[in-house]
Order: sequence, then structure tokens, then C-alpha cells
Amino acid sequence: MEPPEPTVFIVDDDEAVRDSLEILCRSVGLKGETYASATAYLEAHDPDRAGCLVLDIRMPGMSGLQLQKRLEELGSPPPIIFITGHGDVPMAVGAIQRGAVDFIQKPFRDQDLLDRNQQALELDVERRRELHKRRELERRLERLTAREREVLDLVVAGNPNKVVAGELGLSQRTVEIHRSHVMEKMEVESLAELVRLVT
Amino acid sequence: MQQEDLDWRARFEALLDAAVDAIVVIDEAGRIQSFSRAAERIFGYSQSEVVGEPIEILMPSPYREEHAGYLTSYLTGAPPKIIGIGREVVGQRKDGSTFPLHLSVGEVSSSGKRSFVGILRDVSNQKKMEQEQLQLHEEAQLNRERLAHAGRLQILGEMAAGIAHEINQPLSAISTYAQAAGRLLQSGESETGEQLEILEKIAVQAQRAGEVIRRMRALAAEGETSRQIVDINDVVGEVLELAEIDARAHEYILKADLAPSLPAILADRIQIQQVVLNLVHNAIEAMLDGDGAGDVILIRSGPDDEGRVEVCVIDQGVGLAKEDEDRVFDPFFSTKQSGLGIGLSISQSIIQAHGGEMGFRRNQGPGMTFFFNLPTAEESTVGAS
Repeated sequence: MEPPEPTVFIVDDDEAVRDSLEILCRSVGLKGETYASATAYLEAHDPDRAGCLVLDIRMPGMSGLQLQKRLEELGSPPPIIFITGHGDVPMAVGAIQRGAVDFIQKPFRDQDLLDRNQQALELDVERRRELHKRRELERRLERLTAREREVLDLVVAGNPNKVVAGELGLSQRTVEIHRSHVMEKMEVESLAELVRLVT
Repeated sequence: MQQEDLDWRARFEALLDAAVDAIVVIDEAGRIQSFSRAAERIFGYSQSEVVGEPIEILMPSPYREEHAGYLTSYLTGAPPKIIGIGREVVGQRKDGSTFPLHLSVGEVSSSGKRSFVGILRDVSNQKKMEQEQLQLHEEAQLNRERLAHAGRLQILGEMAAGIAHEINQPLSAISTYAQAAGRLLQSGESETGEQLEILEKIAVQAQRAGEVIRRMRALAAEGETSRQIVDINDVVGEVLELAEIDARAHEYILKADLAPSLPAILADRIQIQQVVLNLVHNAIEAMLDGDGAGDVILIRSGPDDEGRVEVCVIDQGVGLAKEDEDRVFDPFFSTKQSGLGIGLSISQSIIQAHGGEMGFRRNQGPGMTFFFNLPTAEESTVGAS
């Protein structure tokens, strides 16, 4: 799967700060998208879009930290870099504990932000890969019947067919048939591959 | 002379001598005919020294030269400049020293001859007291201004964090613009047009920061009071940005609802702005203590029921406790642990010095409305003496 071009989502209530960050992104070949408020971003938020968030903490209406919480609730938090003009160190600790990539004070050196940005985008790619893997796994698992599922669990646990047959009260032949169906539906060629997929 | 005449004469002289104020009688030609004991005392001449002399010897220049003229013109029919009127003049003692006098003059006609009687009171003491009063008044004025200045510095101190943030924003943008422009130039990926644009944006942000500093300076200045005819909306408008900085720093929103075409007021811009900032800051504090009923602070201007100009600051905060109502304008009264409590008392004294009033009302919803009113420029100048 070709990774989509990532976007840097810039959320800050100050127009000049937004604009300058967008130009900075452009200067290093990144795509920047600006939002004047947390609510504006939420309305446009699309979990399928790759990228990271550069987020101001203090904004009228919903604050940056509140947005972070909300995105977590929605189950699709992109990596966040907080920027702040206030020097809120106690807030910083909380934000990072809740999974922010970093917390940078204004005015900042562009290299610092860009480094963190790079880190965040890589994190996002990683996260999406994981997500994709999991979804794929679920999709395949759904193909299995209940019985096939049982066979899968026992086989992946390392039990030979004979033991599986005994556990499930089936003939060894039946177990072999189930096993080959499982392999097919899970789109794997070997036991090793199956184990790798499921764990 | 008859005994009766002698009696009257003795009585007359006794009267003159008893009077506390000096009594001097002159003839038509302005020569001194009679000089009471009190006159001897205050001028330092004995009666015998001055009888027959022109009255002008008791006056310093330029009154001396003017007097002869007054007398002549009065005698020839000109309206009296002093007869029956009374005024302040300057007298000269025998030793040459001068002093202020209050003089009233009456005319006497007897046996076909006109004389003038002057009653003089030494008002040196009064004058001295008036001087002292004026000085005290000026000192009080100076102290009021010093206090108002201290109040402004206090406000700036309370706003320091917000102000630092407001300067930090454009600074951060400038830093990012400059670094971005550098990268764009190095990568050769942008054209002159865009680079020029970025430079312009940098300049704009620098102006923006400069503006915040300028407004701070104006507030911190220890200027002489200068009352001018101004439009209250202009005055409020100028300080809105600083007030917004304070509100934004606490994530509140400041709104302004200024009625158009209000009558002009006679006021000191900076001092009125100080009052507005003080009220906005108090509103913010009240809302921080509140339960988050709202996050809007409203500044409203408009006419009040008596045609004065009124400015209100309406908050959605915790509201004033009943028991604090009477003391809220007292100096050093504060509901905050860290508050000095001089802001409101200074603000009230500023408004009162302008001839206005300051007060508060409870809102129907949460929070309070603090207001002040000011007389119109017309009222102010008519009332001034």
C-alpha cells in the first residue's frame, strides 16, 4: 500500500503564527493545513488522513489539551506536537504523559520543530501500518467459522493435530480439513506465517 | 464751638478710633483730612504726619499714578469705579513695604463740600491663607496623580504575563517566517515575489509587537493630567487591544458594544483608560473564581438616564458577596489573596475628580456590572469656575 502524502495540521488562533508555520512546512516540501480553532479542526478531522498535529495549547473556546483528549476519545489521535507562548510547564508534563510527541515553547528554532515534526510523521506512518495490519487480521478472522476459529487458536498455541482432535472431540482427518481451510482463508502458506500474523 | 458740636466731635473721633478697620477721610482734592488710629497702626504713620498730604502717599506705584486720574474723572461725572463697590488694592506703609488691602469708599457731602471716606482692611493674613490653600490643593492634585500613576503600574504588572504572551506571538511568527524564508532561498524553490511577501509579513509582525509596547508605554507614562474634549468611544477603543490581551491570556472573550454618537466628554484619556482596564481586570478575576457560567466580558457605552455618558463592564463571574458590597471601593480592600486592593479606590477617585460617579449592579444572570458615568463636555465647562 502506497503511503499517502502526509499533512501537517496546524491549529493556532494567531493568524501570523499559522501562516508562518504553513510557509515553513512548504519550505521543506511538506504540506501544511491551517485551522484557526480546535473546533474547526475537529469538524474537518478525518482519521484516514495521514499526518501529525502542530497544536497551540491556549486558545479561546476548546484548548489544545481538550482537543487532545477529544481525539483520544474518538480513537484516532494523530501524533501531536504542542507549541505554546505561555510557558506552561506543568501542562507540558500532562500532555506528554498523555502521548504528545513534544512540547515546544515559542519562539522556537525551526529545526527543533521540523525534527519533532519528522518524528511525529514517522510515528504516524508506523501507527497506520499497525492499524492496517490489525484491520486486515480482523477481516480475515471474520471469514472463519466458529469451529475453524477454535482450530486456529489451538494450532497457533503449538498443539499438534492429534491433540487438537482430542480437545475438540473430532477426528484427526476433520482437524486436517479445518486446518487447510483456515490456511486458505487466512491467506498464509505456512504455520510460521500464521503465527506471525495472529500475534 | 457749641457744647453739642464738641460732643458730636468727640463722639465721632471716638468712633473712628474704636473701629478695627482703618478709616481715612479725604477731601475733593484727595488730601487726607482724617486718619483713624487703626490707619496709623496699619500704615505706620501718625495722624499728624499725613493730614494735609495727598492720599497717594499711601499707595505704591502704579496705583499712585492712577488714583489722581480716578478722582478727577469721578468728580467730572464719570461713573464710580469704586464708590459703593469695594475692591482689593495694595497699600504702602511708611517703611516702604506694601501689603494687600480691601478698600470700600463712600461719599460724604456736608456744608457744600464733598469728601470721601475710605474703610480699609489689611487682608495680608487672608491672602496668605488663600495662598496656602492653593498650594495644598495643588499638592493634593499632584498626589492624586502619583497615586493614579501607581495604579497604572499596578495594572501593567498584573497584565505582565498577558502582555509578554502578546509580544511573544508576533515574535514567534517573525522567527518562523525568517527561518522559512532562509530555507526557501537556499532550496531555490521560491520566487522573489514570495520572498518579498514574507519580508513584508515580518515587518507587519514587528509593527504589531511595537504597537503593544507603545500602548504599554502610554499607560506607564507619568504624565501631567491633560483634560481634553474627547469621544468616550475613541478612548475606550484605544485601550481595547490591551484589555483584550488580558482577557485572551485567561481564555475569555472581550466584546464591545459602543453606542454611536455619544456627546463629547472633558476627560484625561489615560486616566479613563486606566479605569476601564481596572474594571476589565476585575471582571477577569471574578470570572476565574466563578463556575464557568460564561466566558464573555462585555464593555458597553451609552447615555444614562440623566444624559451623562456611561460605560459598563459586564462580567459572568462569581459576583460580589453581600457583605463586601459596602467596602468594595475602600482602599486596600480586596477579595483576592494576592490583591493589593487599590485599583477600585483609585478608579473611583479618578471618576469623581472628573465629576462623575462609579458604582455596580447585579446582573439578572450570573456576574456583576460595574459602571461609571461622566458629565458631558458641556456640563463640565459650564460647571467650571
